[in-house]
Amino acid sequence: MSKVEGTPITKGAIISTKLNTNESIIEFLKKAMDKKVFDAVLVPVRVPAGDSFAYVLIEDKSLLKDAAPLSPIMSVQGAKAISGMTKLGKGNMKIGAVMRPCEIRATVELTKINQTNLENITLISMDCPGVMPISDFLKDPEKSMKIYEDAVKRSDDKIMRPVCQICDKSSMVSGDLHIGTLGAKKGTFFIVSNSQKGNEVMNKLGIELKDNVDDWRNKVQDVFEEKHKKREKSHKDLKAKTTGLDNLINTFSKCINCHNCMKVCPICYCRLCYFDSDKVKHTSEDYLDQAERKGSIRFLPDTLLFHMGRMMHMSLSCVSCGSCEDACPMSIPVAQIFSMVADETQDLFDYVSGRSLDEPIPLVGYKEDELHEMEDAK
Amino acid sequence: MTKALKINKNIEQGILEFLKLLLKNGKVKGVFTLKKINDEGSIAYSLITEPEELNNAVPFYPLMPVNAGKLLSRFTLKGSTKEPVVAVVKPCELRGFVELIKREQGSLENLFIISSTCGGVYPTNMAVDGTIEKNLSKYWDAVKKAEIPAEIRPACKGCVEFIPYTADITVDLIGKKDIDKQFTMLLNTKKGEELAEVIKGEFLEKDLDKETLDKFRDKRKAEEKKLFEKIDSEMKGISGLVDIFGKCIGCHGCMRVCPICYCKLCEFESPDSEYSPSSYESEVKKRGGVRVPQGVLYYQLGRLTHVGISCVGCGACDDVCPVDIPLATIFKKVGESVQKMFNYIPGKDVDEPLPLVTFEKEEFSEVEK
Repeated sequence: MSKVEGTPITKGAIISTKLNTNESIIEFLKKAMDKKVFDAVLVPVRVPAGDSFAYVLIEDKSLLKDAAPLSPIMSVQGAKAISGMTKLGKGNMKIGAVMRPCEIRATVELTKINQTNLENITLISMDCPGVMPISDFLKDPEKSMKIYEDAVKRSDDKIMRPVCQICDKSSMVSGDLHIGTLGAKKGTFFIVSNSQKGNEVMNKLGIELKDNVDDWRNKVQDVFEEKHKKREKSHKDLKAKTTGLDNLINTFSKCINCHNCMKVCPICYCRLCYFDSDKVKHTSEDYLDQAERKGSIRFLPDTLLFHMGRMMHMSLSCVSCGSCEDACPMSIPVAQIFSMVADETQDLFDYVSGRSLDEPIPLVGYKEDELHEMEDAK
Repeated sequence: MTKALKINKNIEQGILEFLKLLLKNGKVKGVFTLKKINDEGSIAYSLITEPEELNNAVPFYPLMPVNAGKLLSRFTLKGSTKEPVVAVVKPCELRGFVELIKREQGSLENLFIISSTCGGVYPTNMAVDGTIEKNLSKYWDAVKKAEIPAEIRPACKGCVEFIPYTADITVDLIGKKDIDKQFTMLLNTKKGEELAEVIKGEFLEKDLDKETLDKFRDKRKAEEKKLFEKIDSEMKGISGLVDIFGKCIGCHGCMRVCPICYCKLCEFESPDSEYSPSSYESEVKKRGGVRVPQGVLYYQLGRLTHVGISCVGCGACDDVCPVDIPLATIFKKVGESVQKMFNYIPGKDVDEPLPLVTFEKEEFSEVEK
């Protein structure tokens, strides 16, 4: 059993509204900008052609008309937007960033390895219904908008990314504020705070966090349990298909070495990936020697090594967002495999990627009393 | 007239037998070609040293999982191969390799190149569910009739460079109705003739069938025109560019699979392309909003500037794009117009210098005005 439970938060604010979730969040951001709590906000905005969404840092509130906090796709993982903006240091503007829980979790992981500066950024998440695979969305963007909206209304996850369908952390609060819609009575939503920064924002907005949020919490717990069961089953099935060298080789045999998965991964932050570096470039004699040993080698060799290596490098921080799978031109179930392995490696260290800024990444810390089973390894 | 060798065998068997003999007779140490690598039928370029392994080779399979020019560059990046190796590649892959050699990213020394007149390849994602395998007979029917196979890469549909320029051996495929029974290999170079010694066949003096190939080129040109007209109507001004490239997710897959993009660290992934928070803030103050990360269009146009002169129009970028931006058409169109300006065909001649590293006294006088 994974260590993640729904949420420990018990108090928050219940807000009445006539708006839908997207509109409510935008309204909240506008209010925060009016009161100068935020100088600017970072939200997904529909691109002019209408066929995608991109993170846009907005100061001019009129631009919020095309904003869609619950956009049907995740074109760029939000953590990449945050690190793109703050990797070189903190800015002067106070920014409210609205992102999905997995994007915030990746942001937390990147922060632990000094790839962001969150000092002037307030991270706001929401209960996430999942996102569609980009390729499905692109078949007909207008129609997809409606399909997504309907699916969200019906809490139907069948059209979502495969990893969204088995996401048991879709309401995990690891940013500063969280907007809850699960368990909310019609015409209301919840806001909860998860940090001092979150408390201060609410304070400045004059919203008290006094309401009981049990309805949200219970529903979150229900969703967690349902999804967690689904996740375990899915991982079990996948494990059967991918265990063993032959299965692994076959699974990744269609890989064309574009490394899109690495490039879009919010955790893979290296400027020059080891697997693109000189370390993996050999002389022709080396390649021929390798070929002679086996009679024939795939060229480039080491396709599996890349995937296994990348997995070793980032699996403790993998947030199962699914960006890798969306970007794979060969439809390899990369995200499903990585999320399956990530659950196991993280469990080993009682670690949940992106749960809290206060938990150090396991490999930079050490407990005197850990991993005894390794001692007996023969 | 070129020396040629006619072999009275089915093309698939004949070429595999030829490659096996090259290995067995010690003419080459390795064969670089497409090969089925598992029972599921995944196909990848492979380096083969054992003749029996060639049983699973599929040299002319209509798929380009990776532009082989990039792979041959990797093979010879640290110096030319000391042992002779023969590579079976498509014309645009060879041209990509030649362009890389001009950039000191590889070497032709001790490499024998076999290519063919090329019918084109299917998009790589059609290899995922076995669609290519199902289409094979239709593909070869079209090639035999010198027609454009349906569903091939858009870049291939409009490709007029289907005859290899610098191959040692060119296998004559397009418009050859009887390749199930016999095929001809043109021995373009002394190296080609040397290879041909290993196999029995009828030596001839022969060229490619100009009339058939000219007609085929006209069909390709018509397709190219259609593609260019479509992109012209969409790519108008800055707003047209924003519309086309707006959905880019920044994966840079196009750069990574491009046979011309060889930089170890792309300019657009370097510290020069990282912006400080203050630059975001000043932009947002100017414009009210700014896309994060910045520079989507800048990346695309920058790459276009960097590779345009050498773009071989292979279409690898199109295939890899997860959001279906018609990159190959755009790069081909812009590439060809730059190339025309310099009277340059990328990959045509390994000794012809890159236009941008040389200059002519009397060029671009219009710029002076």
